[in-house]
Amino acid sequence: MAAGILGGFPARAAGPVVGAFAALGLHSTFYARVLLHVPTALRRYWRHVIRHVGEISFGSASLLAGGGTIGVVFAMSAVASTQIGLEGYRGLDLIGLSPMTGLMSALINTREIAPVVASIALAAKVGTGFTAQLGAMRISDEIDALETMAVPSLPFLVSTRMAAAFLSVIPLYLVGLFASYAATNLAVVNVKGQSSGTYDYYFHLVLTPTDVLYSLLKAVIFAMIITLVHCGYGYYAGGGPEGVGKAAGRALRTSIVAVTVLDVVLTLAFWGPRPTLPGLGT
Amino acid sequence: MSFEAPPSRTALGDAFTQAGMLLNFSVRTFSTLGTVLARRRLAWREVLEQAWFLASVTTVPSLLVTIPLGVVVALNVGSMAGQLGAEGYGGAVVAFVIVAQASPLICALMISGVGGSAMCADLGARKIREEVDAMEVMGIPAVERFVVPRVLAAILVTALLACLVMAVGITASFAFQVTVLGDSPGSFLASLTQFSRLEDFVVAELKAVSFGIVAALVACFKGLTAKGGPSGVGDAVNEAVVLAFILVFVANTVLTELYSAIVPARGAY
Repeated sequence: MAAGILGGFPARAAGPVVGAFAALGLHSTFYARVLLHVPTALRRYWRHVIRHVGEISFGSASLLAGGGTIGVVFAMSAVASTQIGLEGYRGLDLIGLSPMTGLMSALINTREIAPVVASIALAAKVGTGFTAQLGAMRISDEIDALETMAVPSLPFLVSTRMAAAFLSVIPLYLVGLFASYAATNLAVVNVKGQSSGTYDYYFHLVLTPTDVLYSLLKAVIFAMIITLVHCGYGYYAGGGPEGVGKAAGRALRTSIVAVTVLDVVLTLAFWGPRPTLPGLGT
Repeated sequence: MSFEAPPSRTALGDAFTQAGMLLNFSVRTFSTLGTVLARRRLAWREVLEQAWFLASVTTVPSLLVTIPLGVVVALNVGSMAGQLGAEGYGGAVVAFVIVAQASPLICALMISGVGGSAMCADLGARKIREEVDAMEVMGIPAVERFVVPRVLAAILVTALLACLVMAVGITASFAFQVTVLGDSPGSFLASLTQFSRLEDFVVAELKAVSFGIVAALVACFKGLTAKGGPSGVGDAVNEAVVLAFILVFVANTVLTELYSAIVPARGAY
């Protein structure tokens, strides 16, 4: 284990294909070990878990970086869903169905937009933050120092963050979902001037508790993947200050691709290849 | 010509300072771009190198994001249109969603997330090693040498990438609707060609280009104002990504609404 950690990626010199497989294996075993150590982290380092929850939710960086993750998730969800309201109204208006925009809000926001946009916001704010922190620790040899002091670095640094992300994502996501609904409502009722009764009728007709639960499940799964990927790239960062930044970019790329691919898989798993709208008959 | 942030006492003051500095930085970049083009001093090699780098890191991830997205659009549209009795409407929605919305946004996410973070890390590392200051001392302005080529490269790459994303996204959506959901290919293509317009494509390209500019400017700004050693570079990248994502989402809504206010939607079903 120590040999792999010491030199960053162990098989970088062994050609691109072998190197890719080695990196895949390195990261997969990393994910498994992180998940395995979560109970230990909760038992031994629960104070750090609580500290990370605070950092993830409200952030310690400047206001311009978003005023904490709540601000970023809220802002991005609200803007994306305003767009859903305006464009959905325009699209449905073409076929004379603009009264049904409320249905779009309940359906598209819940099932696709809110989980994906909140995950992208989480990846940008929390994920790259993790990569930057862990990467900076790695290249200034702080992780090795922890190991030397007999503190197991992986449970202490990564599993605590994982547990904290799991605890924070549920309220964060609900804030994002609320922002989505409110923004679409605002766009359709106040900007496009639809009657709020019509909007609410179709909105409540289609919105079911099951959908909201599945949507939350999606968001939690995405958040887990994002935390693992970003921590992995940070934990194995190398190549000086520039390497840390590049690792953040690579982690973001991997997590965005993983989120969109998983989104399709989960949509198919939850709602089937021919999803039906509740409350409208067939 | 350095970009040192004055110390600020409150978080709100810091936000306004940064916003003003970013605006100042953008104006300076565009005036330098004008001067450079007028005096024919553009660093072509740097533009090409940066464009090649951006294209090589963003193309494959963009396509990997686009294909699932096309499937998701097809899935949701298929269900909704089918139950409302408008099965053939799928092509029109694809024209709306993928061409006008998804392709510029995917390009923006990739350029600012993948390309921008690398740019920011590169410039931030040079800044904290004081290479940028050394170049300024030698009379090579950082904006002219670093920022202008990166902005031009981002424009070039986003414009091309957006076309690729559109083509792949429409193909993925079409293939999924026809092969998996068993819809009629003819009605898909008919409504696609009926509802899509050249203006939509041009506006999508304009949007992609402006997102590319935003992403490159934010990444270069955050990189050139990085401070505080290796962790400072990491923080700069983090802030650059968050800021670029938020700005791009806001710009998307503003540009879309401007466009639909100027050019009303056309087509009848």
